[in-house]
Amino acid sequence: MKKKTDFLPYALISPLIIFIVLLALTPAAFTTIAAFFKVQPLNPPTHFSGLENFRDILHNANVISSLGNTFIYIIIGVTLSTVLGIYFAVILQRRFVGRSILIAVLILPWALPGVVEGILWTGIWDANTGVLNSVLKSMHLITHYQVFLGQHKFLTILAIEVVQVWQITPLSTILILAVLQNIPDDLYEAATIDGSNGRKSFRYLTLPLIRPGIAIAVVQSIIATLNIFDQPYILNGAASTANSLAMETYAVSFQNLNFGQGYALSLLITLFTLFISVIVAKFIYKKVEY
Amino acid sequence: MKLHKKGFRRFGVGVILSWSLVPIYWVINTSFQTDAQISDTPAHLFPPTPGWANYKALLIGDGELPSMIRRATINIFIECISATIITVVLASLAAYAFARMEFKGRKFFLFVVVMTMAFPTYTTLIPMYRIMAMVHLVNTYLGIILCYVSGFLPLATWILFSYMQSLPLAIEEAGSVDGASRMQIFRLIVLPLTMPAIASTAVITFLFAWAQFIFPLVLASDQSTQPLTVIVAAIQGRHIVPYSLLSTAGVIALSVPAVIALLTNRFIVSGLINGSVK
Repeated sequence: MKKKTDFLPYALISPLIIFIVLLALTPAAFTTIAAFFKVQPLNPPTHFSGLENFRDILHNANVISSLGNTFIYIIIGVTLSTVLGIYFAVILQRRFVGRSILIAVLILPWALPGVVEGILWTGIWDANTGVLNSVLKSMHLITHYQVFLGQHKFLTILAIEVVQVWQITPLSTILILAVLQNIPDDLYEAATIDGSNGRKSFRYLTLPLIRPGIAIAVVQSIIATLNIFDQPYILNGAASTANSLAMETYAVSFQNLNFGQGYALSLLITLFTLFISVIVAKFIYKKVEY
Repeated sequence: MKLHKKGFRRFGVGVILSWSLVPIYWVINTSFQTDAQISDTPAHLFPPTPGWANYKALLIGDGELPSMIRRATINIFIECISATIITVVLASLAAYAFARMEFKGRKFFLFVVVMTMAFPTYTTLIPMYRIMAMVHLVNTYLGIILCYVSGFLPLATWILFSYMQSLPLAIEEAGSVDGASRMQIFRLIVLPLTMPAIASTAVITFLFAWAQFIFPLVLASDQSTQPLTVIVAAIQGRHIVPYSLLSTAGVIALSVPAVIALLTNRFIVSGLINGSVK
């Protein structure tokens, strides 16, 4: 007698699968196909245009400059959030009084909307009302108020990216801490008996053992920084000094209403994200055995 | 040696506290100052004349700003709560099937779930807008909620799946010997045991939904459906609104996620670890 097909599991997963198919896979397929079409609602008809969209966006000076900017965002963001993440995780490695409260406080910036963080840091960076200018002037480090946002390109990107680092560092810390807490204490004891000190233990014991945590943290921050939108949108507005790729995609699609080019740009960003994530994960991620 | 270590930690604790709290403190501080006070040099570490003037100006009365903010607050709650409930219900059903049942295509479907988790926002943003426009769901609660659910469902399923998989099987087997159906076992045994992970998933989903900006910016075309984040950005975009009011709007928008994060940080941490390490 043949066993009847069990329908229950399919019934249970069907809502999930319907959502994924209709609102994730279909849009993704849509993006992939439409990238090769001319799609301009104000200038129909839609027709196949081969690689034209890709050619156009690669000749678009704004896109090219946003590509360079995004690269700087990624470098600053990944470096800062990873270094801070490792440092914070090491601080939190052992139990101490108040540790759980400290973790709660650490999580806070992660939980806040990027838009609100933009508002918050306006109060710090702003040229007229920002507290940083006030502090620097009180300390006689500057003679008159400085403009941090919108004038000097690198400074603008740095100031904006610090805001995003503020948001993503908690996640990096948690991911690294999760791995760090699995390192058995006797490894440190053995190292101390062998004459190792704190710095040496960190360099030769902690750092190699937390590589998997760092790898995941780095991939997460690459994806976050590659998609940066909310913070520059608020802190720098439409000014193109520090435009990110994501802002450029939004501008091309919803301001210029050139959806075809928007699709092409989205497709490139997607492929780029997947590519970098795989490479980085392969490069840093190594199974660790104690 | 011991002293040196203690100093290292104390310094670190100070760094973490000031890194996380100073920007938040500062926006709260300015929200209780007048514009003239905000522009003073040196800046006021505490509000010189603390009062609720800015909050009243933004929340009370029939002016344009207060009605915008009140509407947007209602909208963000409707959108976030609905999206969270739908996501958690659908994700726990699917996670149960993946964690506890054998069926054809199980591995394949799981792979699809993980793959969609890796999609960057931009893969789906424009077509999401066009699909919603096609079915006339642009500028509706339903459109925004469906968009959120589709975005958060894979991660939610994954968190619940990894948790359910780690539960011991023995209790369920006892249940099935007693003649309970699989859905009864799910309701009476698996679901109560999964509560911590369900709490994690609900909190994380709610916070993600609260933080959304670009999707509602595109999908909600006017104030009837725009959530608080979009309205705060819109207020900021008008340069006539002074920073005193802007910072107050910021405090209003951050108060809910901040309180949730402080109260539920344990669930957030375990959820984040479950969701990404495996």
